[in-house]
Amino acid sequence: MFENIIRPETLEPIVRSVINIGIILINIAIIVGIALFHVAYATYFERKTIGHMQVRLGPIEVGPHGILQPIADGLKLLFKEDVIPQVADRTVFYIAPVIFFTAAMTSLAVIPFFEKFVIADINIGLLFLFAMSSLGAYGIVMSGWASNSKYAFLGGLRSAAQVLSYEIAMGLSLVGVMIMAGSLNLSEIVKAQQTYPLGLYLIPQILGFGVFLIAMFAETGRCPFDLPEAESELVAGYFVEYSGFRFALFFLGEYIGMFIMSSIAVVCFLGGWTVPQFILGIPLIGDILSKIPNIIWFLLKVYFFIFLYYWVRATVPRYRYDQLMAIGWKILIPVALANIVITGLIKLWVKGMI
Amino acid sequence: MTTKELIRKIFFVEIFKGMALTFSRLFTHAVTRRYPHKIRRPAQPGFRGLHAWSGERCVGCKLCAGICPSQCIYIATETDKETKKLVVKKYDIEVLRCLFCSFCVEACPEGALALTEHYEYADYSREALYMTMEKLQANWDKYMAGKVEDYFKRFWGPRPEDFSTPEEQAVFRGRK
Repeated sequence: MFENIIRPETLEPIVRSVINIGIILINIAIIVGIALFHVAYATYFERKTIGHMQVRLGPIEVGPHGILQPIADGLKLLFKEDVIPQVADRTVFYIAPVIFFTAAMTSLAVIPFFEKFVIADINIGLLFLFAMSSLGAYGIVMSGWASNSKYAFLGGLRSAAQVLSYEIAMGLSLVGVMIMAGSLNLSEIVKAQQTYPLGLYLIPQILGFGVFLIAMFAETGRCPFDLPEAESELVAGYFVEYSGFRFALFFLGEYIGMFIMSSIAVVCFLGGWTVPQFILGIPLIGDILSKIPNIIWFLLKVYFFIFLYYWVRATVPRYRYDQLMAIGWKILIPVALANIVITGLIKLWVKGMI
Repeated sequence: MTTKELIRKIFFVEIFKGMALTFSRLFTHAVTRRYPHKIRRPAQPGFRGLHAWSGERCVGCKLCAGICPSQCIYIATETDKETKKLVVKKYDIEVLRCLFCSFCVEACPEGALALTEHYEYADYSREALYMTMEKLQANWDKYMAGKVEDYFKRFWGPRPEDFSTPEEQAVFRGRK
């Protein structure tokens, strides 16, 4: 974004690297700021959506239509007493939320929000995202263990089993996309979708998308797979014993996780920041749509998935634990494997190798 | 499992039906009433709210304390040496223990005790909800002013024949 202002070839190498680091830091600040703002208002949006779906009002007292509620909540969390159980394993108790939060925030680095706006454009973007979402499970297990409470412990164990099983289904569901795009770099995946006639991998990869969608809910521990923090069974699951800002770190991590998963879905199946060519080809509508900035398309698609999370939460009751495992291992993984075989065979056939 | 059932299962038909229902609810009006700030209506006549007691009417017979199921009325009396009448020295009601059955009101032969229509008396301390003689008398003067006779005739008075709740009294009668 800054190439036109400064011509890199005229600068000393040291100055150039300092400027590059500065640009990266600015990008990080922008993304972290926007992400935290989004998390704050995602909670507001969630409470409003679910409230209206359940014929209630949702937050309405703080500010017009309760618009200042997230700020009030944030202040409350900051000034709350930080209670640590006497029998807790203190070191692990301190580290766990930090690990969870860091893993969630680090994932933001590789997501391309629009053309060339990505902090780290690494060529193993997807693998990095999987790695980080699995690393977050360590934070959960550690918090469950360190709290020395049976509710937290059960929550942590459930989360570990759930995240590990669904990680497989999720990874496999995206292999079809990798085969079609021929790359693990997220920007490359978006560009590969533009060259593809339909402009979206949603249609050819509908099986993979279905598997990913279900795995996405399980991976972030949201309804109907919110067993790690099942409110009616485990109070709050792995973070029962946390209060104040440590609790807020878990909360932020969880919501950023939702945004990450939605972003992966958007980048891999819905064409990221682009609009499909066949829509842009329509006269009049296509002209208007092509004027809208790319970032808006990206955010709208992400918001749709966030809305889907809330919509499902307002509708579907929680699954039993054995049902969760049965869905993961008996249905999603075989379907994802079948999807890989079919995609691979079709790709070979298209290339004329069979 | 028939083919139809299988198709229903594969395409999550039930879940989509449920989701369509919740989505349609998104655009309906909420049934929630915004009680303290927007909607604040007076209680219906005969509502069993805060207790009130009249020192002039009370004869100290302790029937109210005797019938109270939660034993939250504390009375102490003394016999006056000259007139040989009972004088009430202490009359306390612990509102936090009261279950608002209104047995005490119905038991009172003199109509000296009532449950008023005032219901907004939430507080942060236990002391504020421990009603002493003076507080109860003040409640009587404040919330029963001008409606004592009418109320005892309609709701709280002794009813030798019909002990059922009067038709016009606001109590829960199940969903219609």
